Amino acid sequence: MDGAEEPLIRIEGLHYTYQAGTHRAVPALCGIDLTIHAGEYVALLGANGSGKSTLLRHLNALLLPTAGNVWIAGWNTRDATHLRNVRTTVGMVFQVPDSQIVATVVEEDVAFGPENLGIPEDELRQRVDWALSTVRLSELQHRASHLLSAGQKQRLAIAGALAMHPRCLLLDEATAMLDPVGRRQLLETVGHLHQDGMTVVAATHNMAEAALTQRIIVLSEGQLALQGEPRAIFSQIETLRALHLDVPHPTLLARELSARVDGFPADLLTIGELADAVATYLGEPAGAAI
Amino acid sequence: MPMASEFELLGRVTIGQYLPTGSLVHSLDPRAKLLVVLLLIIVVIVSNSLIGLSLLLLAVLAGLAVARIPLRFALAGLRPMLPFLILLALLQVFAIPQYSIGATVIWHRGILTITDRSLLAGILLIARFSIMALGLSLFSFSTTTTELTHGIEHLVRPLQTLRLPAHEFALVVNIAIRFLPILAEETERLMKAQASRGADFGRGRRNFVQRTRLLLPLLVPLFLVSLRRADQLIEAMEARCYLGGKGRTHLIRLQERLPDYVVVAGALGLATGAIYLSRVNADRLLWSWLSSHL
Ligand SMILES: Nc1ncnc2c1ncn2[C@@H]1O[C@H](COP(=O)(O)OP(=O)(O)O)[C@@H](O)[C@H]1O
Ligand SMILES: [Mg+2]
Repeated sequence: MDGAEEPLIRIEGLHYTYQAGTHRAVPALCGIDLTIHAGEYVALLGANGSGKSTLLRHLNALLLPTAGNVWIAGWNTRDATHLRNVRTTVGMVFQVPDSQIVATVVEEDVAFGPENLGIPEDELRQRVDWALSTVRLSELQHRASHLLSAGQKQRLAIAGALAMHPRCLLLDEATAMLDPVGRRQLLETVGHLHQDGMTVVAATHNMAEAALTQRIIVLSEGQLALQGEPRAIFSQIETLRALHLDVPHPTLLARELSARVDGFPADLLTIGELADAVATYLGEPAGAAI
Repeated sequence: MPMASEFELLGRVTIGQYLPTGSLVHSLDPRAKLLVVLLLIIVVIVSNSLIGLSLLLLAVLAGLAVARIPLRFALAGLRPMLPFLILLALLQVFAIPQYSIGATVIWHRGILTITDRSLLAGILLIARFSIMALGLSLFSFSTTTTELTHGIEHLVRPLQTLRLPAHEFALVVNIAIRFLPILAEETERLMKAQASRGADFGRGRRNFVQRTRLLLPLLVPLFLVSLRRADQLIEAMEARCYLGGKGRTHLIRLQERLPDYVVVAGALGLATGAIYLSRVNADRLLWSWLSSHL
C-alpha cells in the first residue's frame, strides 16, 4: 500500500454486532463502506441508536469489526502490533466531560497520553504546554480538573488527545452536554485545528454544527443513508425528517421565504448566508425580487 | 422543608483539608511526610512506653507549631471520635481487671475494679489515638491531594522492579481520588431527583441509624452510576494508549532536598528511641526510681 495514496480512514464492508454469538446479539453496523481523506471535516448524523458511536469506536480500534476491515493511514485496526500507531493517529473526545479526565490536575491529564507513549520528560513538557495553549487553557494548567466548567473540560479532553500529536480527531457528541458559550468555544477550537490541517469527524445532533463541515454522513440503523455536502444534504428536508433528523433553522427560514418571495435562494445554511441574502434583497428591492 | 444547601455535597468533600500557611512543613517533599506519618503510626502502635509516646506527642505538637496550624483545627478531627474513644478507654480500664491476675488493685468498689495495668491500658489507648489523629491532621493540613498522589506514586515506584503492581496501586489511588467529586455530584443529583419525588433528606435531629436508612435507596443507583462512569473512564484511558504501566514516563518529578533528609532522619531517631524506651520498660524504671527517691 502506498502511503501517499492511502486515505486516512478507509472502511470496507464493516459489520459490527454487540454480544455477537449470544442470544442477546445487537447488530449495530450493517455493511459500511467509507473513506475519509486527510484534512476533511466530516459530520456524522443519525438518530439515537443509529450507530454513530459504534462507528467512531472502530476508527481508533476501541472496537474491532465483526466482519469487514478498517484501515487507519494504511494500518488495519485488527493488527495488534499497530494498535499504538492507530490510537496516536486518531484521538477521541467523548460525550461526557467528566468521565474522560483521568488525572486530578489539568496539566497532568494532558500528559496522560504521551506518558503512556513513553515520551521523554522535556518533550512531554513541550507537548503539554503546546496542547494547553492550542485549546486556550494555559492559565488553568495547575487547576484541579474537577473544578473546570463543562466546556473547559471538553477542551481539556481535546488537549489530551492533541498531546499525542494525532492527525485526526473524533468528537462523539462532544458538544451535547455544553451550554451555548461552551459549545461555541469548542467549535472555534475545532475550527482552528481543522484550518491547520487536522482531520475531524464529529458525531452530532446539532445541525448548525453540521452545517460548518465539508461533508455530512447520515447513518440510519447501522447503514449509510445519505452522504454529501451540507447544502445538498439539507435540501432534502423530507428525507431527513423520515430519518428523524432536523435541518438548520436558517435553511428552514430560507425555504419559507423562497416559497413566498420569488428569487429568494432556498439553499442557505448559516445565519450569515441568510442575513446576506436578506440584505441583498432589501438593498435592491426593484431589481432582484418580484 | 429541605433547604437547597443540604444537597451541596461537592462543597463538603474535603479530602485535602489543606491549610496553606506556606510553612517549612508544607514545603517538605510529600514522600518524606508520608514516610514520617507511616513511621509514626507504626511506632505509636508498637511502643508501650508512656514516656516514648509523650516524646512523640511533643514532636507532633512541635510539627503543628512549625506548620503554623492552630491546635483547635488539628483537634477538630479528634472531636467526633472522642465519645467512642472514652467509651473504649473506660472498657479497658474496668474490663481488663476481670481477666488479669497479678496486677495491683488501686481502686475497688462493688463489682468495679481498677488495676494499675488496666489504668495504663486506658491511658495508652487515648494517647495512641490522639497522637495518630494529630499526626494525620498535621499531614493533611500541610499536604495537598495532588502532592499526596505524587508522593504515593513516587514512593511505590521502586517496588515495580520487584514485580509488585506498584503502578496499578498508584493509579487506583489517583482514580479513587478523581472519582470523589464525580460521586459527590452524582449523589447530589440522585438526592435531588428522589427529593423531588417526596424523599426527605432533611437534616433534622435523627440518629445515625435513621440517617443511614434514609441514604440506603441511594446506594444501588449510585453503584450502577459508578460502574458506568468507570466503564467510560476505562474507554477514555484506552483511547489514550493506556496499556499498563510498562514504559510510561512521568511529567512530574519530585525533587528531594536537605530538609527532607533531616526530617526523615529525625523521625527515624525518635522512632528508635520510643521503641527502645518501650523495650527496656522505661516507664517502670522511672516509676520505681521516683517511688524510691521521693
Ligand atoms: N455496549 C452495548 N451493548 C449492546 N448494545 C449496544 C451497546 N452500545 C450500543 N448498543 C446498541 O447499538 C446500536 C448503536 O448504538 P450507538 O452506536 O451507541 O448509536 P448512537 O451513538 O448513534 O446513538 C443501538 O441499537 C444500541 O442500543
Ligand atoms: Mg452515541
